[in-house]
Amino acid sequence: MWTKIKWAFRIVAAIFVLGFLHYTLPQHDIVRVTGTYNRLTTVGTENAWAYASPDSGTQESSATRDIRFIETAFPDGDVMVYRNEDTGWIWPPYFKYDSSNLQAEAGNLKSDAANPKWVVVTHYGWRLPILSIYPNAVSLREATGPDERIIPWVSGLVIAFLIFAVFMIRRMWAQFWERSVEPVAAEMEETWDGMEARATGLIGRIKAVFSNKRRK
Amino acid sequence: MFGLLRAGLLAFAILTAVYLLVSLYSRSVRREKLEKAWDSDPDKITADVADREAYIRAGMETYRHGLRRKLIWLVYIIPMVVVLATVYGVNVQ
Repeated sequence: MWTKIKWAFRIVAAIFVLGFLHYTLPQHDIVRVTGTYNRLTTVGTENAWAYASPDSGTQESSATRDIRFIETAFPDGDVMVYRNEDTGWIWPPYFKYDSSNLQAEAGNLKSDAANPKWVVVTHYGWRLPILSIYPNAVSLREATGPDERIIPWVSGLVIAFLIFAVFMIRRMWAQFWERSVEPVAAEMEETWDGMEARATGLIGRIKAVFSNKRRK
Repeated sequence: MFGLLRAGLLAFAILTAVYLLVSLYSRSVRREKLEKAWDSDPDKITADVADREAYIRAGMETYRHGLRRKLIWLVYIIPMVVVLATVYGVNVQ
């Protein structure tokens, strides 16, 4: 029973961590820009987490904001809509404040199906129509072709750093436990043994002396 | 601009906490290494406890002036470089 609960908890935690990483880390799409526009968008409580924080420049503290969007199509014909918002200074840490320039670049790279110009869009986030959320485009550049291979080295570095950080935290915790907690615990145990010995008289005291010796 | 200030203060607070933890850890590891070096030396088993303490104190003094301790400043420097590189990479075409 307890192992099942423990495993359920672990799986839920793993899903949260992986989902968080999948949402936050940069990803690349190769698409064709088909349109760019601004639209007054109402951000509700259910999807505010997937939009820029109110103080990062796109709008100031109102439920409806004017957001830039970039419409695109994949080589296979599927479509994707990106929003194009500043990220602000804290989270997610892309430090993007050139949305206007990015919108101009997107407009400049527009092309039609007959004469496609393939573009690599670096973005983070998810497109979930049910919540009306859009991935945020971070940067654009022209691709060498529709099947250019992109190595996601930023995500690789971030994940490597996170693994290193977890490893270091475990080592630091082990060091703290071994050097600071265990000696105190051992001392307390000795004091306890001593008290016990005093309570049980001479024989107990001799026993306590021997048990202390053994521990050292 | 206020956002930048807030982010800077937050980062400074977090990095200071990391710096303190890492330096405590590094010092603890060095002390343990010194203790083990002394304890595993067969010549020193009979030596005085005071000698052992003096040896460890001298080792820690060397550590205090060493390179390894100064390298912990990278805790502040690396994130700053990463942030500046990100700002540059994302915003400059």
